[in-house]
Amino acid sequence: MAKISIIIPAYNESASLRQVIKSIADADASWQIVAVDDCSTDNTAKLAREAGVVVLSHVINRGQGAALKTGTDYAIISEAEIIVHFDADGQFVASEIKDIIAPIIAGRADIVFGSRFLSKKSNVPWFKKRIILRLARLVNRIFLSVNLSDPQSGFRAFSRAAAEKLNWRQDRMAHCSEIMHLAFKNKLRAQEAPVTIIYRDFGQKFLGGVKILEEFFLGLFTK
Amino acid sequence: MFIQQVIGLIIIVCFIFRLFWQKRQNHINAAEFSFWLVFWVIAALAIIFLRQIDGLVRYLGFTASGINVLLYLGVALLFYFIFRLRIRLAKVEGEITKVVREIAINNKNYK
Repeated sequence: MAKISIIIPAYNESASLRQVIKSIADADASWQIVAVDDCSTDNTAKLAREAGVVVLSHVINRGQGAALKTGTDYAIISEAEIIVHFDADGQFVASEIKDIIAPIIAGRADIVFGSRFLSKKSNVPWFKKRIILRLARLVNRIFLSVNLSDPQSGFRAFSRAAAEKLNWRQDRMAHCSEIMHLAFKNKLRAQEAPVTIIYRDFGQKFLGGVKILEEFFLGLFTK
Repeated sequence: MFIQQVIGLIIIVCFIFRLFWQKRQNHINAAEFSFWLVFWVIAALAIIFLRQIDGLVRYLGFTASGINVLLYLGVALLFYFIFRLRIRLAKVEGEITKVVREIAINNKNYK
């Protein structure tokens, strides 16, 4: 059976982390859960340790992209064969991890992106769905040659071989677009899987999208 | 020479004196010293030969005066330096992340 690592980047997520870890462990107890505490100021790291998962702690806050990369690098070192990125805020549904890793286990895909816009219903706020995400999809298509239904999906899974090719450098929120771009650039077999997103707040706002573009643009000059 | 040119040159001379003082106190390295010295000398030459620059600007077909063109070039240069600074900052941030990651992985924590 393939070793599967679930990476949870966490920054001040003490309100939801325990439940998120429990839901993943309930979905499959054999999965390795790696929580990456991004220098939280609350007791996120303590809760993760108490839950008995692997905890990696950033001594300085470096952003979600950096935390995911830390967890992914650790998963590669610990010989995981499939790596899943899963948010700590309780927006994702743990039972859907099986759906997202299925195409990789079956050998049909190297990387699978969760999508809010396929068959399952997510309560995406109207402005975000109709304006922000449409613009983001357009930007992804024009500038990054990425053609996916969900332009900012944080729920994703990939094989170990794919992980070794996905060397993203965006530490903050632009990592999402960069991972998609790298997947297409490296000609990985990419698929989308329908996932449910439970919105607790608006999430990424319009100015956040502008910031992502700025980070991505600067990243082009820092190779 | 206009009074404005004289004031400009006095200001530049002050900056050059300060530059030599900073070098003597080891507050800046040789490369920085050379860069700023060349910068201020060019600025002084631009002020001294303002009339000739006016002529050159007219010859090149610009309608603005020499001092305006120098101002535009100065602003463009400032934007370029800020951009370079942002890139350097992004690189340093990336290096910090690598160190933080290394520490995190080497100190992994089980209960």
